[in-house]
Amino acid sequence: MKPATVGFSAAGLALAALLPFLLSQYWLHVMIISLFYVMMASSWNLLAGYTGQVSFAHAAFAGVGAYTSGMISVQLGISPWLGIPLGVAAAGLLGLGLGFLCIRMGGIYLSLTTLGFSEIIRIVITNEDKWTRGTMGLQTPGLFTEYSKTFYYFLFLAVAIAMAAIIYKLIHSEWGLTMRAVLNDEVAASASGINTIRVRLLAFTATSAMAGLAGGLYGHYLMLVTPDIPSLGQMFLVLAMAVIGGMGSFAGPIVGAFVLEILSEYIRSWGEYHVLVFGLIALAMARFAPEGLMGFWTKKRENRGHID
Amino acid sequence: MGILIEGKKISKSFGGLTAVNGVDFHVMEGEIVGLIGPNGAGKTTLFNLITGIFPPDSGNLTFQEKKLGGLKSFEICRLGIARTFQIVRPFLKMTCLENVLVGIIGREGGTSSQKDKNERARRLMKITGLERLETRLAKDITLIEKKRLEVARALATAPQAILLDEVMAGLNLSEMQQAMELIEMIRSELKITILWIEHVMGAIMKTSDRVIVMDQGQKIMEGKPEAVVTDRRVIEAYLGESDA
Repeated sequence: MKPATVGFSAAGLALAALLPFLLSQYWLHVMIISLFYVMMASSWNLLAGYTGQVSFAHAAFAGVGAYTSGMISVQLGISPWLGIPLGVAAAGLLGLGLGFLCIRMGGIYLSLTTLGFSEIIRIVITNEDKWTRGTMGLQTPGLFTEYSKTFYYFLFLAVAIAMAAIIYKLIHSEWGLTMRAVLNDEVAASASGINTIRVRLLAFTATSAMAGLAGGLYGHYLMLVTPDIPSLGQMFLVLAMAVIGGMGSFAGPIVGAFVLEILSEYIRSWGEYHVLVFGLIALAMARFAPEGLMGFWTKKRENRGHID
Repeated sequence: MGILIEGKKISKSFGGLTAVNGVDFHVMEGEIVGLIGPNGAGKTTLFNLITGIFPPDSGNLTFQEKKLGGLKSFEICRLGIARTFQIVRPFLKMTCLENVLVGIIGREGGTSSQKDKNERARRLMKITGLERLETRLAKDITLIEKKRLEVARALATAPQAILLDEVMAGLNLSEMQQAMELIEMIRSELKITILWIEHVMGAIMKTSDRVIVMDQGQKIMEGKPEAVVTDRRVIEAYLGESDA
Protein backbone atom coordinates (compact mmCIF):
# COMPACT_ATOMS: atom_id res chain seq x y z
CA MET A 1 0.00 0.00 0.00
CA LYS A 2 1.12 3.51 -0.75
CA PRO A 3 1.72 5.92 2.17
CA ALA A 4 -1.14 8.11 0.91
CA THR A 5 -3.54 5.16 1.04
CA VAL A 6 -2.44 4.30 4.58
CA GLY A 7 -2.87 7.94 5.61
CA PHE A 8 -6.34 8.14 4.09
CA SER A 9 -7.39 4.88 5.72
CA ALA A 10 -6.13 5.97 9.15
CA ALA A 11 -7.89 9.34 8.87
CA GLY A 12 -11.07 7.60 7.67
CA LEU A 13 -10.98 5.15 10.58
CA ALA A 14 -10.42 7.95 13.09
CA LEU A 15 -13.34 9.90 11.66
CA ALA A 16 -15.52 6.77 11.65
CA ALA A 17 -14.67 6.15 15.31
CA LEU A 18 -15.62 9.71 16.24
CA LEU A 19 -18.89 9.81 14.28
CA PRO A 20 -21.17 8.58 17.13
CA PHE A 21 -20.02 11.53 19.23
CA LEU A 22 -20.53 14.04 16.43
CA LEU A 23 -23.80 12.95 14.86
CA SER A 24 -27.36 13.12 16.08
CA GLN A 25 -29.17 9.81 16.77
CA TYR A 26 -31.02 10.25 13.47
CA TRP A 27 -27.86 10.60 11.37
CA LEU A 28 -26.20 7.80 13.30
CA HIS A 29 -29.14 5.65 12.20
CA VAL A 30 -28.51 6.71 8.60
CA MET A 31 -24.86 5.70 8.99
CA ILE A 32 -25.84 2.26 10.33
CA ILE A 33 -28.21 1.71 7.39
CA SER A 34 -25.48 2.90 5.01
CA LEU A 35 -23.09 0.32 6.47
CA PHE A 36 -25.74 -2.36 5.88
CA TYR A 37 -25.87 -1.28 2.24
CA VAL A 38 -22.08 -1.24 2.03
CA MET A 39 -22.16 -4.94 2.92
CA MET A 40 -24.99 -5.64 0.49
CA ALA A 41 -23.63 -3.68 -2.49
CA SER A 42 -20.02 -4.83 -2.02
CA SER A 43 -20.94 -8.49 -1.85
CA TRP A 44 -23.37 -8.20 -4.77
CA ASN A 45 -20.61 -6.52 -6.77
CA LEU A 46 -18.29 -9.44 -6.04
CA LEU A 47 -20.84 -11.73 -7.68
CA ALA A 48 -22.10 -9.52 -10.50
CA GLY A 49 -19.11 -7.29 -11.15
CA TYR A 50 -16.41 -9.95 -10.86
CA THR A 51 -18.00 -13.16 -12.14
CA GLY A 52 -20.69 -11.61 -14.35
CA GLN A 53 -23.57 -13.38 -12.58
CA VAL A 54 -26.10 -10.57 -12.34
CA SER A 55 -28.25 -12.08 -9.60
CA PHE A 56 -31.52 -10.52 -8.48
CA ALA A 57 -31.69 -12.74 -5.42
CA HIS A 58 -29.26 -10.85 -3.22
CA ALA A 59 -31.93 -9.10 -1.17
CA ALA A 60 -33.73 -12.43 -0.86
CA PHE A 61 -30.60 -13.90 0.77
CA ALA A 62 -30.50 -10.98 3.18
CA GLY A 63 -34.12 -11.89 3.94
CA VAL A 64 -33.15 -15.52 4.50
CA GLY A 65 -30.48 -14.39 6.97
CA ALA A 66 -32.81 -11.99 8.77
CA TYR A 67 -35.77 -14.40 9.01
CA THR A 68 -33.68 -17.45 9.94
CA SER A 69 -32.08 -15.64 12.83
CA GLY A 70 -35.32 -13.84 13.72
CA MET A 71 -37.45 -16.99 13.78
CA ILE A 72 -34.85 -18.97 15.71
CA SER A 73 -34.65 -16.31 18.39
CA VAL A 74 -38.42 -15.75 18.58
CA GLN A 75 -39.66 -19.35 18.29
CA LEU A 76 -36.83 -21.16 20.05
CA GLY A 77 -35.54 -18.42 22.29
CA ILE A 78 -31.98 -18.88 21.07
CA SER A 79 -29.63 -15.90 21.25
CA PRO A 80 -29.36 -13.83 18.06
CA TRP A 81 -25.58 -14.08 18.42
CA LEU A 82 -26.02 -17.75 17.52
CA GLY A 83 -28.98 -17.11 15.23
CA ILE A 84 -27.05 -14.80 12.90
CA PRO A 85 -24.35 -17.40 12.07
CA LEU A 86 -27.15 -19.91 11.43
CA GLY A 87 -28.79 -17.38 9.11
CA VAL A 88 -25.47 -16.97 7.32
CA ALA A 89 -25.25 -20.74 6.88
CA ALA A 90 -28.84 -20.94 5.60
CA ALA A 91 -28.24 -18.15 3.08
CA GLY A 92 -24.95 -19.72 1.99
CA LEU A 93 -26.55 -23.12 1.47
CA LEU A 94 -29.48 -21.69 -0.48
CA GLY A 95 -26.98 -19.63 -2.49
CA LEU A 96 -25.06 -22.79 -3.33
CA GLY A 97 -28.30 -24.42 -4.47
CA LEU A 98 -29.39 -21.47 -6.59
CA GLY A 99 -25.88 -21.12 -8.02
CA PHE A 100 -25.97 -24.81 -8.95
CA LEU A 101 -29.28 -24.29 -10.72
CA CYS A 102 -27.78 -21.41 -12.69
CA ILE A 103 -24.52 -23.16 -13.74
CA ARG A 104 -25.45 -23.49 -17.37
CA MET A 105 -27.06 -20.08 -17.52
CA GLY A 106 -25.62 -16.71 -18.17
CA GLY A 107 -26.83 -13.21 -18.84
CA ILE A 108 -30.54 -12.61 -18.90
CA TYR A 109 -31.51 -16.23 -18.13
CA LEU A 110 -29.58 -16.25 -14.90
CA SER A 111 -31.05 -12.89 -13.96
CA LEU A 112 -34.60 -14.08 -14.63
CA THR A 113 -34.10 -17.30 -12.67
CA THR A 114 -32.75 -15.42 -9.66
CA LEU A 115 -35.57 -12.89 -9.97
CA GLY A 116 -38.06 -15.74 -9.80
CA PHE A 117 -36.27 -17.26 -6.81
CA SER A 118 -36.33 -13.89 -5.06
CA GLU A 119 -40.08 -13.56 -5.52
CA ILE A 120 -40.64 -17.12 -4.30
CA ILE A 121 -38.76 -16.34 -1.09
CA ARG A 122 -40.78 -13.13 -0.58
CA ILE A 123 -44.11 -14.82 -1.25
CA VAL A 124 -43.35 -17.75 1.05
CA ILE A 125 -42.32 -15.36 3.82
CA THR A 126 -45.42 -13.23 3.31
CA ASN A 127 -47.80 -16.19 3.37
CA GLU A 128 -46.29 -18.43 6.05
CA ASP A 129 -47.48 -15.97 8.67
CA LYS A 130 -47.63 -18.59 11.39
CA TRP A 131 -43.82 -18.57 11.37
CA THR A 132 -42.98 -15.21 9.93
CA ARG A 133 -45.98 -13.10 10.93
CA GLY A 134 -46.26 -12.15 7.25
CA THR A 135 -46.62 -8.50 6.39
CA MET A 136 -47.16 -7.63 10.05
CA GLY A 137 -43.49 -8.22 10.55
CA LEU A 138 -41.62 -10.34 13.03
CA GLN A 139 -40.57 -8.61 16.20
CA THR A 140 -37.07 -9.78 16.99
CA PRO A 141 -34.87 -9.21 20.03
CA GLY A 142 -31.95 -6.81 19.83
CA LEU A 143 -28.32 -7.79 20.02
CA PHE A 144 -27.53 -5.78 23.16
CA THR A 145 -29.35 -5.91 26.49
CA GLU A 146 -29.26 -2.16 26.60
CA TYR A 147 -30.35 -0.51 23.34
CA SER A 148 -27.65 1.80 22.02
CA LYS A 149 -27.22 3.07 18.48
CA THR A 150 -23.55 3.63 19.23
CA PHE A 151 -23.06 -0.08 19.95
CA TYR A 152 -24.86 -1.04 16.74
CA TYR A 153 -22.87 1.50 14.80
CA PHE A 154 -19.55 0.05 15.94
CA LEU A 155 -20.74 -3.51 15.31
CA PHE A 156 -21.89 -2.66 11.77
CA LEU A 157 -18.69 -0.71 11.16
CA ALA A 158 -16.50 -3.62 12.28
CA VAL A 159 -18.41 -6.19 10.22
CA ALA A 160 -18.52 -3.94 7.14
CA ILE A 161 -14.77 -3.29 7.35
CA ALA A 162 -14.05 -6.99 7.85
CA MET A 163 -16.26 -7.93 4.91
CA ALA A 164 -14.71 -5.26 2.70
CA ALA A 165 -11.25 -6.49 3.69
CA ILE A 166 -12.15 -10.07 2.76
CA ILE A 167 -13.59 -8.90 -0.57
CA TYR A 168 -10.48 -6.80 -1.21
CA LYS A 169 -8.25 -9.77 -0.45
CA LEU A 170 -10.33 -12.03 -2.68
CA ILE A 171 -10.38 -9.80 -5.74
CA HIS A 172 -6.62 -9.21 -5.49
CA SER A 173 -5.84 -12.91 -5.06
CA GLU A 174 -5.55 -15.67 -7.63
CA TRP A 175 -9.22 -16.38 -6.99
CA GLY A 176 -9.97 -12.87 -8.12
CA LEU A 177 -7.94 -13.40 -11.25
CA THR A 178 -9.79 -16.60 -12.09
CA MET A 179 -13.12 -14.90 -11.37
CA ARG A 180 -12.29 -12.13 -13.82
CA ALA A 181 -11.19 -14.73 -16.37
CA VAL A 182 -14.59 -16.41 -16.02
CA LEU A 183 -16.29 -13.02 -16.40
CA ASN A 184 -14.27 -12.20 -19.52
CA ASP A 185 -14.65 -15.51 -21.35
CA GLU A 186 -15.90 -18.72 -19.79
CA VAL A 187 -14.90 -20.98 -22.68
CA ALA A 188 -11.35 -19.63 -22.82
CA ALA A 189 -11.06 -19.81 -19.02
CA SER A 190 -12.09 -23.45 -19.03
CA ALA A 191 -9.68 -24.21 -21.89
CA SER A 192 -6.95 -22.62 -19.74
CA GLY A 193 -7.58 -25.10 -16.94
CA ILE A 194 -9.94 -23.02 -14.79
CA ASN A 195 -12.76 -24.97 -13.15
CA THR A 196 -15.35 -22.38 -14.09
CA ILE A 197 -18.21 -24.14 -12.31
CA ARG A 198 -16.32 -24.12 -9.01
CA VAL A 199 -15.45 -20.45 -9.41
CA ARG A 200 -19.07 -19.53 -10.09
CA LEU A 201 -20.46 -21.68 -7.28
CA LEU A 202 -17.96 -20.39 -4.76
CA ALA A 203 -18.81 -16.81 -5.67
CA PHE A 204 -22.54 -17.53 -5.40
CA THR A 205 -22.21 -19.27 -2.04
CA ALA A 206 -19.82 -16.76 -0.47
CA THR A 207 -21.75 -13.69 -1.56
CA SER A 208 -25.10 -15.18 -0.51
CA ALA A 209 -23.64 -15.90 2.92
CA MET A 210 -22.43 -12.29 3.09
CA ALA A 211 -25.93 -11.06 2.23
CA GLY A 212 -27.27 -13.38 4.93
CA LEU A 213 -24.91 -11.83 7.48
CA ALA A 214 -25.89 -8.30 6.45
CA GLY A 215 -29.59 -9.23 6.64
CA GLY A 216 -29.22 -10.93 10.02
CA LEU A 217 -27.55 -7.90 11.59
CA TYR A 218 -30.06 -5.56 9.97
CA GLY A 219 -33.02 -7.52 11.31
CA HIS A 220 -31.74 -7.46 14.89
CA TYR A 221 -30.96 -3.77 14.59
CA LEU A 222 -34.43 -2.81 13.35
CA MET A 223 -35.93 -5.39 15.77
CA LEU A 224 -38.71 -5.79 13.21
CA VAL A 225 -38.19 -8.07 10.23
CA THR A 226 -40.63 -7.50 7.36
CA PRO A 227 -40.92 -8.85 3.79
CA ASP A 228 -39.46 -5.50 2.71
CA ILE A 229 -35.99 -6.91 3.34
CA PRO A 230 -36.25 -9.64 0.67
CA SER A 231 -38.19 -7.37 -1.71
CA LEU A 232 -37.26 -6.43 -5.25
CA GLY A 233 -37.37 -2.75 -4.31
CA GLN A 234 -34.54 -3.45 -1.91
CA MET A 235 -32.74 -5.45 -4.59
CA PHE A 236 -32.89 -2.65 -7.12
CA LEU A 237 -31.64 -0.19 -4.55
CA VAL A 238 -28.57 -2.40 -3.94
CA LEU A 239 -28.11 -2.80 -7.69
CA ALA A 240 -28.36 0.96 -8.22
CA MET A 241 -25.76 1.55 -5.50
CA ALA A 242 -23.27 -0.81 -7.14
CA VAL A 243 -23.93 0.47 -10.66
CA ILE A 244 -23.88 4.17 -9.75
CA GLY A 245 -20.81 3.74 -7.55
CA GLY A 246 -19.03 1.64 -10.14
CA MET A 247 -19.51 -2.07 -10.79
CA GLY A 248 -16.41 -4.19 -11.01
CA SER A 249 -14.38 -1.87 -8.81
CA PHE A 250 -13.68 -2.37 -5.13
CA ALA A 251 -14.56 1.12 -3.89
CA GLY A 252 -17.50 1.72 -6.24
CA PRO A 253 -20.27 -0.03 -4.27
CA ILE A 254 -19.00 1.41 -0.97
CA VAL A 255 -19.19 4.94 -2.34
CA GLY A 256 -22.53 4.17 -4.03
CA ALA A 257 -24.03 2.83 -0.79
CA PHE A 258 -23.21 5.98 1.20
CA VAL A 259 -24.16 8.40 -1.57
CA LEU A 260 -27.54 6.81 -2.29
CA GLU A 261 -28.53 6.12 1.31
CA ILE A 262 -27.71 9.66 2.42
CA LEU A 263 -29.37 11.09 -0.69
CA SER A 264 -32.50 9.03 -0.10
CA GLU A 265 -32.87 10.62 3.35
CA TYR A 266 -33.19 13.99 1.63
CA ILE A 267 -35.79 12.80 -0.84
CA ARG A 268 -37.67 10.71 1.71
CA SER A 269 -40.86 12.69 1.04
CA TRP A 270 -40.97 11.23 -2.48
CA GLY A 271 -41.82 7.88 -0.95
CA GLU A 272 -41.26 4.82 -3.09
CA TYR A 273 -40.48 7.05 -6.07
CA HIS A 274 -36.93 7.46 -4.88
CA VAL A 275 -36.17 3.88 -5.99
CA LEU A 276 -37.56 4.79 -9.41
CA VAL A 277 -35.32 7.84 -9.59
CA PHE A 278 -32.28 5.78 -8.56
CA GLY A 279 -33.22 3.17 -11.14
CA LEU A 280 -33.31 5.77 -13.89
CA ILE A 281 -29.99 7.24 -12.78
CA ALA A 282 -28.50 3.72 -12.69
CA LEU A 283 -29.80 3.06 -16.22
CA ALA A 284 -28.31 6.29 -17.50
CA MET A 285 -24.99 5.55 -15.77
CA ALA A 286 -24.90 2.01 -17.17
CA ARG A 287 -25.38 3.46 -20.65
CA PHE A 288 -23.18 6.54 -20.52
CA ALA A 289 -20.71 5.98 -17.65
CA PRO A 290 -20.45 2.22 -17.11
CA GLU A 291 -17.59 2.65 -14.68
CA GLY A 292 -19.79 4.68 -12.33
CA LEU A 293 -18.69 7.41 -9.96
CA MET A 294 -15.36 5.61 -9.44
CA GLY A 295 -14.84 5.81 -13.20
CA PHE A 296 -14.98 9.63 -13.06
CA TRP A 297 -12.46 9.58 -10.25
CA THR A 298 -9.93 7.32 -12.00
CA LYS A 299 -10.33 9.19 -15.29
CA LYS A 300 -9.57 12.45 -13.55
CA ARG A 301 -6.48 10.91 -11.96
CA GLU A 302 -5.35 9.57 -15.32
CA ASN A 303 -5.75 12.99 -16.92
CA ARG A 304 -3.56 14.51 -14.24
CA GLY A 305 -0.99 11.79 -14.88
CA HIS A 306 -1.28 10.22 -11.44
CA ILE A 307 -1.95 6.72 -12.61
CA ASP A 308 0.70 4.15 -11.73
CA MET B 1 7.88 -42.21 -28.79
CA GLY B 2 4.35 -43.43 -28.37
CA ILE B 3 0.97 -42.19 -29.48
CA LEU B 4 -0.02 -39.06 -27.58
CA ILE B 5 -3.49 -38.23 -28.87
CA GLU B 6 -5.66 -40.76 -30.62
CA GLY B 7 -9.19 -40.66 -32.01
CA LYS B 8 -11.16 -43.66 -33.22
CA LYS B 9 -14.30 -43.29 -35.35
CA ILE B 10 -15.04 -39.82 -34.04
CA SER B 11 -18.41 -38.40 -35.15
CA LYS B 12 -20.29 -35.23 -34.28
CA SER B 13 -23.51 -33.85 -35.75
CA PHE B 14 -25.24 -30.55 -35.18
CA GLY B 15 -28.87 -31.16 -36.04
CA GLY B 16 -28.84 -32.49 -39.58
CA LEU B 17 -25.28 -31.44 -40.28
CA THR B 18 -22.57 -34.04 -39.75
CA ALA B 19 -19.54 -31.91 -38.93
CA VAL B 20 -17.17 -34.78 -38.18
CA ASN B 21 -17.89 -38.21 -39.62
CA GLY B 22 -16.06 -41.32 -38.42
CA VAL B 23 -12.61 -39.79 -38.25
CA ASP B 24 -9.61 -41.89 -37.15
CA PHE B 25 -6.43 -40.02 -36.34
CA HIS B 26 -3.43 -40.05 -34.08
CA VAL B 27 -0.64 -37.71 -33.09
CA MET B 28 2.71 -39.12 -32.01
CA GLU B 29 4.72 -37.66 -29.17
CA GLY B 30 7.03 -34.92 -30.45
CA GLU B 31 5.32 -34.65 -33.83
CA ILE B 32 4.10 -31.58 -35.67
CA VAL B 33 0.92 -32.60 -37.45
CA GLY B 34 -0.86 -30.26 -39.85
CA LEU B 35 -4.64 -30.45 -40.19
CA ILE B 36 -5.90 -29.00 -43.45
CA GLY B 37 -9.05 -28.98 -45.51
CA PRO B 38 -11.48 -26.53 -47.11
CA ASN B 39 -13.81 -24.37 -45.03
CA GLY B 40 -16.45 -26.39 -43.23
CA ALA B 41 -14.36 -29.58 -43.36
CA GLY B 42 -14.76 -30.10 -39.60
CA LYS B 43 -11.24 -29.17 -38.47
CA THR B 44 -12.23 -26.75 -35.70
CA THR B 45 -15.03 -29.11 -34.62
CA LEU B 46 -12.40 -31.83 -34.20
CA PHE B 47 -10.37 -29.43 -32.01
CA ASN B 48 -13.46 -28.67 -29.94
CA LEU B 49 -14.07 -32.39 -29.48
CA ILE B 50 -10.50 -33.07 -28.38
CA THR B 51 -10.55 -30.18 -25.88
CA GLY B 52 -13.97 -31.06 -24.47
CA ILE B 53 -15.86 -27.95 -25.58
CA PHE B 54 -18.53 -30.48 -26.52
CA PRO B 55 -18.52 -34.30 -26.46
CA PRO B 56 -18.45 -36.49 -29.58
CA ASP B 57 -21.67 -38.33 -30.49
CA SER B 58 -19.67 -41.51 -30.94
CA GLY B 59 -16.09 -42.71 -31.03
CA ASN B 60 -13.22 -42.75 -28.59
CA LEU B 61 -10.68 -40.04 -27.82
CA THR B 62 -7.61 -40.82 -25.75
CA PHE B 63 -4.63 -38.86 -24.50
CA GLN B 64 -1.69 -41.00 -23.35
CA GLU B 65 -4.15 -43.89 -23.35
CA LYS B 66 -6.43 -42.05 -20.90
CA LYS B 67 -10.00 -41.69 -22.13
CA LEU B 68 -11.08 -38.08 -22.70
CA GLY B 69 -14.78 -38.95 -22.95
CA GLY B 70 -16.86 -37.19 -20.30
CA LEU B 71 -14.05 -34.91 -19.19
CA LYS B 72 -14.64 -31.18 -19.02
CA SER B 73 -12.55 -28.66 -20.89
CA PHE B 74 -10.53 -27.64 -17.83
CA GLU B 75 -9.82 -31.28 -16.91
CA ILE B 76 -8.47 -31.96 -20.39
CA CYS B 77 -6.30 -28.86 -20.11
CA ARG B 78 -4.94 -30.12 -16.80
CA LEU B 79 -4.10 -33.48 -18.39
CA GLY B 80 -1.82 -31.57 -20.75
CA ILE B 81 -3.67 -30.47 -23.88
CA ALA B 82 -3.72 -26.71 -24.51
CA ARG B 83 -5.25 -24.81 -27.40
CA THR B 84 -5.73 -21.49 -29.10
CA PHE B 85 -8.93 -20.33 -30.78
CA GLN B 86 -9.49 -19.53 -34.44
CA ILE B 87 -11.47 -16.45 -33.45
CA VAL B 88 -9.19 -15.22 -30.70
CA ARG B 89 -10.54 -15.26 -27.16
CA PRO B 90 -8.11 -13.42 -24.88
CA PHE B 91 -9.46 -12.06 -21.59
CA LEU B 92 -10.04 -8.59 -23.02
CA LYS B 93 -10.41 -6.58 -19.84
CA MET B 94 -7.32 -8.08 -18.21
CA THR B 95 -3.69 -7.17 -18.76
CA CYS B 96 -1.54 -9.36 -20.99
CA LEU B 97 0.45 -10.56 -17.99
CA GLU B 98 -2.77 -11.51 -16.18
CA ASN B 99 -3.93 -13.40 -19.27
CA VAL B 100 -0.82 -15.57 -19.12
CA LEU B 101 -1.05 -15.96 -15.33
CA VAL B 102 -4.53 -17.46 -15.73
CA GLY B 103 -2.98 -20.30 -17.71
CA ILE B 104 -0.35 -20.93 -15.03
CA ILE B 105 -2.92 -20.88 -12.22
CA GLY B 106 -5.33 -23.00 -14.26
CA ARG B 107 -2.85 -25.83 -14.62
CA GLU B 108 -1.27 -25.95 -11.20
CA GLY B 109 -3.52 -24.01 -8.81
CA GLY B 110 -1.79 -22.19 -5.99
CA THR B 111 1.29 -24.35 -5.46
CA SER B 112 4.15 -22.02 -6.35
CA SER B 113 4.86 -18.49 -5.15
CA GLN B 114 3.46 -15.39 -6.83
CA LYS B 115 6.97 -14.27 -7.75
CA ASP B 116 7.73 -17.58 -9.40
CA LYS B 117 4.49 -17.42 -11.40
CA ASN B 118 5.15 -13.86 -12.53
CA GLU B 119 8.64 -14.84 -13.65
CA ARG B 120 7.36 -17.78 -15.65
CA ALA B 121 4.64 -15.64 -17.23
CA ARG B 122 7.23 -13.02 -18.21
CA ARG B 123 9.47 -15.67 -19.74
CA LEU B 124 6.59 -16.96 -21.86
CA MET B 125 5.74 -13.42 -22.93
CA LYS B 126 9.33 -12.97 -23.98
CA ILE B 127 9.48 -16.04 -26.19
CA THR B 128 6.18 -15.09 -27.83
CA GLY B 129 7.42 -11.55 -28.41
CA LEU B 130 5.09 -9.79 -25.99
CA GLU B 131 7.57 -8.56 -23.39
CA ARG B 132 6.65 -4.90 -23.77
CA LEU B 133 2.92 -5.48 -23.34
CA GLU B 134 2.78 -6.75 -19.73
CA THR B 135 0.57 -4.00 -18.35
CA ARG B 136 -1.50 -3.39 -21.49
CA LEU B 137 -5.11 -4.54 -21.52
CA ALA B 138 -5.67 -7.37 -23.99
CA LYS B 139 -8.40 -5.36 -25.72
CA ASP B 140 -5.87 -2.67 -26.64
CA ILE B 141 -3.37 -4.84 -28.55
CA THR B 142 -3.33 -5.77 -32.25
CA LEU B 143 -4.85 -8.95 -33.63
CA ILE B 144 -1.42 -10.48 -34.21
CA GLU B 145 -0.44 -9.71 -30.63
CA LYS B 146 -3.70 -11.26 -29.46
CA LYS B 147 -2.85 -14.43 -31.35
CA ARG B 148 0.56 -14.54 -29.73
CA LEU B 149 -1.04 -13.89 -26.36
CA GLU B 150 -3.26 -16.93 -26.90
CA VAL B 151 -0.19 -19.02 -27.65
CA ALA B 152 1.51 -17.67 -24.50
CA ARG B 153 -1.57 -18.42 -22.38
CA ALA B 154 -1.78 -21.94 -23.83
CA LEU B 155 1.93 -22.54 -23.17
CA ALA B 156 1.43 -21.26 -19.62
CA THR B 157 -0.66 -24.34 -18.86
CA ALA B 158 2.56 -26.38 -19.35
CA PRO B 159 1.01 -28.70 -21.93
CA GLN B 160 2.43 -31.81 -23.55
CA ALA B 161 0.41 -31.09 -26.67
CA ILE B 162 -0.82 -27.81 -28.08
CA LEU B 163 -3.57 -27.38 -30.66
CA LEU B 164 -3.16 -24.24 -32.75
CA ASP B 165 -6.18 -23.07 -34.74
CA GLU B 166 -5.16 -20.87 -37.69
CA VAL B 167 -2.49 -18.85 -35.95
CA MET B 168 -1.15 -17.64 -39.31
CA ALA B 169 -4.33 -16.13 -40.73
CA GLY B 170 -3.93 -12.42 -41.36
CA LEU B 171 -0.16 -12.39 -40.88
CA ASN B 172 2.22 -10.87 -43.41
CA LEU B 173 5.23 -12.77 -44.74
CA SER B 174 7.76 -11.74 -42.12
CA GLU B 175 5.26 -12.29 -39.30
CA MET B 176 4.54 -15.71 -40.74
CA GLN B 177 8.24 -16.46 -40.71
CA GLN B 178 8.37 -15.51 -37.02
CA ALA B 179 5.34 -17.65 -36.28
CA MET B 180 6.94 -20.64 -37.97
CA GLU B 181 10.10 -20.15 -35.96
CA LEU B 182 7.97 -19.99 -32.81
CA ILE B 183 6.27 -23.27 -33.72
CA GLU B 184 9.60 -25.00 -34.37
CA MET B 185 10.90 -23.64 -31.09
CA ILE B 186 7.84 -24.88 -29.18
CA ARG B 187 8.65 -28.36 -30.35
CA SER B 188 12.43 -28.38 -30.19
CA GLU B 189 12.98 -26.44 -26.96
CA LEU B 190 9.76 -26.81 -25.00
CA LYS B 191 9.29 -30.42 -26.19
CA ILE B 192 5.62 -29.88 -26.92
CA THR B 193 3.74 -31.89 -29.53
CA ILE B 194 1.80 -29.77 -32.01
CA LEU B 195 -1.41 -30.33 -33.93
CA TRP B 196 -2.28 -27.31 -36.01
CA ILE B 197 -4.95 -26.18 -38.39
CA GLU B 198 -3.73 -23.91 -41.13
CA HIS B 199 -4.83 -22.57 -44.47
CA VAL B 200 -1.43 -21.18 -45.39
CA MET B 201 -0.10 -24.13 -47.39
CA GLY B 202 3.50 -22.96 -47.53
CA ALA B 203 3.70 -22.86 -43.75
CA ILE B 204 2.03 -26.24 -43.27
CA MET B 205 4.26 -27.89 -45.87
CA LYS B 206 7.45 -26.47 -44.45
CA THR B 207 6.81 -27.06 -40.77
CA SER B 208 4.74 -30.27 -40.50
CA ASP B 209 6.05 -33.80 -40.21
CA ARG B 210 2.75 -35.20 -41.33
CA VAL B 211 -0.49 -33.75 -42.70
CA ILE B 212 -4.07 -34.89 -42.21
CA VAL B 213 -6.59 -33.69 -44.80
CA MET B 214 -10.28 -33.39 -44.00
CA ASP B 215 -13.19 -32.68 -46.30
CA GLN B 216 -16.89 -32.59 -45.43
CA GLY B 217 -16.32 -34.12 -42.03
CA GLN B 218 -14.19 -37.03 -43.22
CA LYS B 219 -10.49 -37.71 -43.28
CA ILE B 220 -9.68 -38.08 -46.95
CA MET B 221 -5.89 -38.37 -46.84
CA GLU B 222 -2.96 -38.49 -44.50
CA GLY B 223 0.77 -38.53 -45.14
CA LYS B 224 3.97 -36.60 -45.69
CA PRO B 225 3.40 -33.01 -46.82
CA GLU B 226 4.92 -33.63 -50.27
CA ALA B 227 2.70 -36.62 -50.85
CA VAL B 228 -0.44 -34.79 -49.73
CA VAL B 229 -0.16 -31.76 -52.03
CA THR B 230 0.12 -33.88 -55.13
CA ASP B 231 -2.71 -36.23 -54.19
CA ARG B 232 -5.65 -36.11 -56.58
CA ARG B 233 -8.31 -36.33 -53.84
CA VAL B 234 -6.80 -33.40 -51.98
CA ILE B 235 -6.67 -31.24 -55.08
CA GLU B 236 -10.28 -32.12 -55.85
CA ALA B 237 -11.37 -31.25 -52.32
CA TYR B 238 -9.84 -27.81 -52.65
CA LEU B 239 -10.53 -27.04 -56.28
CA GLY B 240 -13.56 -29.17 -57.05
CA GLU B 241 -13.68 -32.33 -59.18
CA SER B 242 -12.15 -32.25 -62.62
CA ASP B 243 -14.36 -33.07 -65.59
CA ALA B 244 -11.75 -35.28 -67.19
